Amino acid sequence: MSTFNALHITNTKPRIAIVAAGVVSPLGFGLKETLHSLRSATDCVSTVSRFDVSHCRCKTAAQVPDQRLLVYRQKGRKNARLHRASHIMIAALAELLERDQEFKPEVTVIGTTSGGMSFGEDYYRALHRHEDLGRSAQWIANYPPQKPVLDAQNAFGISAPCFVIANACASGTNAIGYAFECIQSGKYERVLTGGYDALSELVFVGFDSLQAATPEKCRPFDRDRTGMVIGEGAALLALENLESARKRNATILGEIIGYGISTDNHHLTQPDPSGSGPRRAMEQALRSAGCAPERVDYINAHGTATPFNDAAEGKAISELFGRVPVSSTKSMIGHSLGAAGAIEAVICLLALQSQFLPPNINFRAPDPDLDLNVVANESRDAKIDIALSNSFGFGGTNASVLIRKAAA
Amino acid sequence: MSVRIAGMGWITPLGRGVDYVWNRLLRGDEASAQTISRNEGARAYQGFLVPNEALNNLPPHPRLRRASAISRFAAAAGLDAMAQAKAMDPKIEMERLALVFAVSNGGVAYTKRFYHDIVESGAQSASPLLFPETVFNAPASHLAAILGVNGASYTIVGDGAVGILGMKMASDLLEMGAANHCLVVAAEEADWLLCDAYHRWRLIKSSPPIELFSNHPRGTILSEGAGAVLLGREGSVKMDSINAGGNFSQRRNSTGVVNRILQDLRDQTAFVVASANGTFVDLAERDAIRKQIPNSIVYSPKAALGESVGASALWQVIIAARALAGKQLPPMRHVAGNAGLRFPAGTNGIGLSAIVSSCGLNQQAAGLRLSI
Repeated sequence: MSTFNALHITNTKPRIAIVAAGVVSPLGFGLKETLHSLRSATDCVSTVSRFDVSHCRCKTAAQVPDQRLLVYRQKGRKNARLHRASHIMIAALAELLERDQEFKPEVTVIGTTSGGMSFGEDYYRALHRHEDLGRSAQWIANYPPQKPVLDAQNAFGISAPCFVIANACASGTNAIGYAFECIQSGKYERVLTGGYDALSELVFVGFDSLQAATPEKCRPFDRDRTGMVIGEGAALLALENLESARKRNATILGEIIGYGISTDNHHLTQPDPSGSGPRRAMEQALRSAGCAPERVDYINAHGTATPFNDAAEGKAISELFGRVPVSSTKSMIGHSLGAAGAIEAVICLLALQSQFLPPNINFRAPDPDLDLNVVANESRDAKIDIALSNSFGFGGTNASVLIRKAAA
Repeated sequence: MSVRIAGMGWITPLGRGVDYVWNRLLRGDEASAQTISRNEGARAYQGFLVPNEALNNLPPHPRLRRASAISRFAAAAGLDAMAQAKAMDPKIEMERLALVFAVSNGGVAYTKRFYHDIVESGAQSASPLLFPETVFNAPASHLAAILGVNGASYTIVGDGAVGILGMKMASDLLEMGAANHCLVVAAEEADWLLCDAYHRWRLIKSSPPIELFSNHPRGTILSEGAGAVLLGREGSVKMDSINAGGNFSQRRNSTGVVNRILQDLRDQTAFVVASANGTFVDLAERDAIRKQIPNSIVYSPKAALGESVGASALWQVIIAARALAGKQLPPMRHVAGNAGLRFPAGTNGIGLSAIVSSCGLNQQAAGLRLSI
């Protein structure tokens, strides 16, 4: 384990509370369903039904059931025209606001990778095949990544300026981290943050073409791992200056206490095998929290189950944290790209609240090159106070956030 | 702490280089539209494209070998901004440099090629070389690798206002102490597909000129290129205020949002660099300017440079900074006679502060004020 001389740093900056959250993922709609599915180690991966995957190596993904989204689609003609990603975002925001109706964000920071991509696909397919383009204006207007964020805000009368971060698969964690810094700087009191992404053919086939997606089970950190499965969903967190939240007697679910970001210039899609990029992000998160690595009780790893990513991340984790319990919940819910960091932050929050370690399913044999304490296959009860969530992406973007259990 | 502009880079359909493009604008030059075709039988569009020679002296780098046009534009503008800043202050610490990349449509050309193969021949034909270049943060990743940025790098996506949001994010990062300098780059590439999409969205017209502030907007012409602004603590042009704005769910509400932004930023001695582009944006800005700062000189560069969407607001920032330094604005062409606004005439009305107003085409608006 690395020596890290940061045990007694006094952090005088404002503390940042998580006062509400909302989540939609293949694990379920809402925190309660998500917790139940995590506890029972649910494998949410199934055959892709939204588009033709017959020519892909990988034919599976973790999908949000459409029938659960119907209620949001059916709320008026305008909602029916919105992209599925907007409905997912509206559902997540509905839960968040139900939990804290007084939360009024000054700014919104959301991560995504592909926005309403499938509308772009619809438009291009129709154009190419000389099919009916009568809905093209609707597709084009609702395709951009900021649109589902604005749609969700509009659905609840929120008009905060929106920063939409597209840092590939690190987007969700970058969004939370940047939101954390916004409040910590004293410039803002309340920020709505999180991430979303909806399954699209272009992105699915893209990962398949790179052979990053597996035709088998997703087995993060396993000796025989063969790649990721794609997922989808959204998670939102209401962040607020702790003092301000306490003044209005808001429920404090937990705290974001640290954030780290780094850029790895090794390659557009491959991490530096040394793990230096992820390590710098994790170290920076620890420094910003004034927290020694020994105090971290659980790591929700990026853990895509691709051979190179897990090797680089696993190396960085074991060097920095020793044998702290690690799991990649992507084994259950796939990689939801821009939503991943946000959903995994919510999973950390649930783990901290309910004092358990979420499982890394489909795990068969440890990788002899990685000295990791993997939470294999079943959730475990544990006393945890601080959790770290990692997200890394194309372009060499690395992001880590530290989350602390709410004080009793 | 004051945030200042330490360097700028610019590549546009009028060429590359802040001074070069600026002098052409002052002369009243306008970019020449080119025909953008898809294939025989398909509708052709007019667009303002970056001339090939503008990228001639871009230094070779392995990251740019296969990179899309947007990445090359970003590299050109980003390198120029850094070079300009380093000429004044050679000691810029790269490890304390953050990168904020603003974009709207991204790498459209490669995305189209990648998806075309899937539609045409099936998923088995998808190119693993093209896919990574379709990701929104690919240009930022290339630029980070070229410059050696290994700390914070954010790609943000939005409509035409995204450049102002990028400036806001960069200013906040500096004020938070997260970096000593922050390079804001905004870029866009034009493509037939984009022209067709905006045409179907009823936002573009068939050929120039772009007529500004007309009562009956007839549409805009797309363009491409990049702008880069290095923010730091030194430099003659200061960031006074940034309003990250708000959102309008319907176009008819855009005036109200722009009005609130200008009300917040207003300075009766400031001139305005507007985002008017021949669409509903013109009416929103016209009405808000008339109400909030009726005596201000108003300039929009879009008749000369076209609508570069994600890059456009940063181009406006460069124009505002250059106009403040040179106490001069370029002439306005193709302006409606009954707009009820004051347009540039020599050095009249060019004060010590400038407001950049950006109303995007898809529900976002923002603004900022610079001073010298």
